[in-house]
Amino acid sequence: MSHSPLRLLLEFDARSQRDRDQPPAFLHRRDRKFALTCEQQGRTPGVALWLEHMAYLNGPGTAPGEARRTLQLWRRINLGFAALGALLGVLTMLSLLFFEGGQRINLSLIIAFVGLHLLLALATSVQALIGWQPWRWLVRRLTPRAERGVTRRLRPLLMARAAHLGASAFALTGLVTLLLLVVVQDLAFGWSTTLTTGASTYHQLLLALATPWAWLWPAAVPDLALVEATRFFRTGTGRGDLAPELWGQWWPFVTMLWTTWVLVPRLLLTLLTQWLLRYQAGRLLASHPGWHALLYRMETPTLDTGSEHNDADDLPDTATQAAVAPLPDTDLLLCWAGAGEPELPGGLTGTGQRIFRAGGRASLADDRAVLTEVAEQLAQTPQPAVLVITRSWEPPTGELLDFLAEACQRWPESVTIALVPLSLDGQSELEPHQLRQWLRFAERLNSDRVRVSALPLAWRDPYAASGVGP
Amino acid sequence: MTDAPMFAVVGHPNKGKSSVVATLSQNDAIAIALEPGTTRQRQAYPLSVDGQTLYTLVDTPGFQRPRRVLEWLQAHSLSASDHPETVRAFVTQHRDDGRFTDECELLTPLIEGAGIIYVVDGSVPYSAEHEAEMTILRWTGRPSLALINSIGPDDYSDTWQAALGQFFQVVRKFDAVRAPFEQHLSLLRAFGQLEPDWEQPLSQATEHLANQRQKRQGQSASLIADALADMMAYREKRTLTLDQVAATSDTDLAEQLRQRWYQHQRRREQALRINIEHLYQHQRIRRQEAELEWHNEHDLFSEDSRQTWAVSRGYLATAGFGAGAVGGAGLDALTLGHSLGAGALVGGLIGAAGSYLYGDQLMLPALNIGALKNGLKTATFGPVQDSQFGYVVLGRAVDHWWHISQRNHAGRDLLDLEPADHHWLERLDRRSRQAIQQAFDRCRKRRPLDDRLRQKFIAAIEQGMAAYDDWRLNRT
Repeated sequence: MSHSPLRLLLEFDARSQRDRDQPPAFLHRRDRKFALTCEQQGRTPGVALWLEHMAYLNGPGTAPGEARRTLQLWRRINLGFAALGALLGVLTMLSLLFFEGGQRINLSLIIAFVGLHLLLALATSVQALIGWQPWRWLVRRLTPRAERGVTRRLRPLLMARAAHLGASAFALTGLVTLLLLVVVQDLAFGWSTTLTTGASTYHQLLLALATPWAWLWPAAVPDLALVEATRFFRTGTGRGDLAPELWGQWWPFVTMLWTTWVLVPRLLLTLLTQWLLRYQAGRLLASHPGWHALLYRMETPTLDTGSEHNDADDLPDTATQAAVAPLPDTDLLLCWAGAGEPELPGGLTGTGQRIFRAGGRASLADDRAVLTEVAEQLAQTPQPAVLVITRSWEPPTGELLDFLAEACQRWPESVTIALVPLSLDGQSELEPHQLRQWLRFAERLNSDRVRVSALPLAWRDPYAASGVGP
Repeated sequence: MTDAPMFAVVGHPNKGKSSVVATLSQNDAIAIALEPGTTRQRQAYPLSVDGQTLYTLVDTPGFQRPRRVLEWLQAHSLSASDHPETVRAFVTQHRDDGRFTDECELLTPLIEGAGIIYVVDGSVPYSAEHEAEMTILRWTGRPSLALINSIGPDDYSDTWQAALGQFFQVVRKFDAVRAPFEQHLSLLRAFGQLEPDWEQPLSQATEHLANQRQKRQGQSASLIADALADMMAYREKRTLTLDQVAATSDTDLAEQLRQRWYQHQRRREQALRINIEHLYQHQRIRRQEAELEWHNEHDLFSEDSRQTWAVSRGYLATAGFGAGAVGGAGLDALTLGHSLGAGALVGGLIGAAGSYLYGDQLMLPALNIGALKNGLKTATFGPVQDSQFGYVVLGRAVDHWWHISQRNHAGRDLLDLEPADHHWLERLDRRSRQAIQQAFDRCRKRRPLDDRLRQKFIAAIEQGMAAYDDWRLNRT
């Protein structure tokens, strides 16, 4: 895979966009795993490696389509500009060097054209640097869908690169055309201007233009004699008319002028734009929010709190058909697991009561003894009934279930066992959810003899319902 | 390396064992009900970092027949030295006995080496009924910690503390529904004190959990920033043919687009809320304001919301001055300081005046019908015209984040986002106020936030979250 920053940026951006729909926990696991694997292999995880990893996992042919499309589009734009530039280069040079024998090719025109070209090169570079996009309309027509984020930010530079490439092709084909024309035609160069400029001033200008190559190719630097000899005037009677053998000596200067001031600057600007593009792409990649998020995911350990188990909907059925039954009239009270301690509520106290204690701190042997004792008491009662006092807030457990099952076996069949859950203070009404758990428990016993009864409250706050103070 | 510690959360039925596990494992999908027998079998909740388990919590059913188990154990033991072995024998022998399913489920992790976390309800009186359970647990010989979890409003924790101290190495109070996050960490550290080998993984775990929490705050700020940028810049757009333009009055068109604009903004806010809830692993929160209606006091566009979350004109003027001054300073920079700060001053004054004038009303977007193009006209509604809307969204988002970040996973009640009674943003520092105002101004002009501004905006929101937290703490 190419490691060009532009390609990396576009592919990374496309992958980041695709990851947006993934759950963060999954992304974290995936990227943390990648970072840990890199660490094991002694490699430093980076964008290129990560993209390679993603591509490897996804199999061949799964490079992000959008990145590929964007790169292809710009490749086409670059080729189009280059082809157009090449064609224009040939045509322009043919026009500049048009020579039909009766007139000379004016050097001033060529120099002016070179100057204009330099100006255009400068304008292209400046527009790219300040973000002005004169070619936007063209790109909009060429782009099938709206460019997003990073591509849009790189567009001035991409357009400048295309323009410089086109201009380089223009300069190159122009140069080739010039050399071909020099070979196949006898070109007559001269110089002329309407301005009152002397030959020495013009020579000074040419020397300044020729400075870059003067040391390399002295023959391409015109001397004053040549300048004086090749000037022509509109009247056609100048001294230049006298030296037609000199007219052809200008071609090395023209060649070097074109090479140095048209071709080389464009090539340099193309390289500079290419470098800027790489630099900018690298910078955008480094500040890409997706890259920061990826780095975070790679650096931070994945923390799994074991929360994947879900049984929230698996709640017990709290519906019950059982209802609270009236409290039976009996003197036999059985306090289960410490209920009624330290003292029973007023509604349960009275003379002649027999109170038994079972469950809780009592041993199972004690429970069995109580069962026997109560059975004896019940045998002497015509309408046998027992109140089993419990704590409403302590849920009924298997031990009470066993105890009641044994009681049902050992006590007379006609016995009524009333479970009487007490509230925390023994006086107030039971919490509905606490009462429900006792009703459900009685229902689960599936016995006609066991039911739930509520204590008649000895005292009820008369102001509780109305909300009016005493 | 030694095996990761395991902790079995055990106790009497219906004392909040599952609540403790739900809060510590950040799982709001554990069944919790005020009914005994909600947990029927043990369930492990491992905490792992990069796939390596640091500790495991095991939720278990409650004891059903502790006295019968104890009687069996006592009948099969000769001395204290064989107690753990006897417990193991009990489980082996009764694995298929329906009467002891719950006991076997809760004792199995203990005989496999788990530490004991015994949970009692501190809001009901101590009951000697629990002594058989505690004795059995002592027989297992495992390191043990007792937790006093208060389910109801009363407090009997002192008597519980005295009783539990006789049976357990460490006794702690921990309210599974209301305990702040720092207490979760402190409790985990306490688990580490039970055995020297457990200290290191538990300390590692608490460190990771604390980091995770800190990062979640930053991630929340980033989510809020994205939502604010979207909502401030959002524009409802509709393309109409000439016939459609002729058939619809501007008022009707504005009304249609306004409704769609409202709907989009509400949906975006809901999406932000869900994202933040999921970030904190709250997947099942029921919100009081799920159904949003125009007249609903919880609605984004209600008068209540505006009064609660919009900022004062004074605040807007100062924030607007700061944001305007930032722009004006650019002018000063261009003149290499020759403007002697006049740019900043003028920019600041313009910003302040603009903000002040728009200060006490919520300026909603206006309908804009574009020019005819290819036989079609484009009508747009939005973006919002002033920054107050941003402050309303920001206030609501930070309030929601705060409730979520403070909420324990054992909490199953409705999330009611009650309106606040004082504006918390007054506590925010000047630079953060300016960064927020600047971001709002850019977004409502549909100018994108570059990375630097976005980072500043996120940092300012994070500061806002800290200010809100501080205000909440000091309010009561």
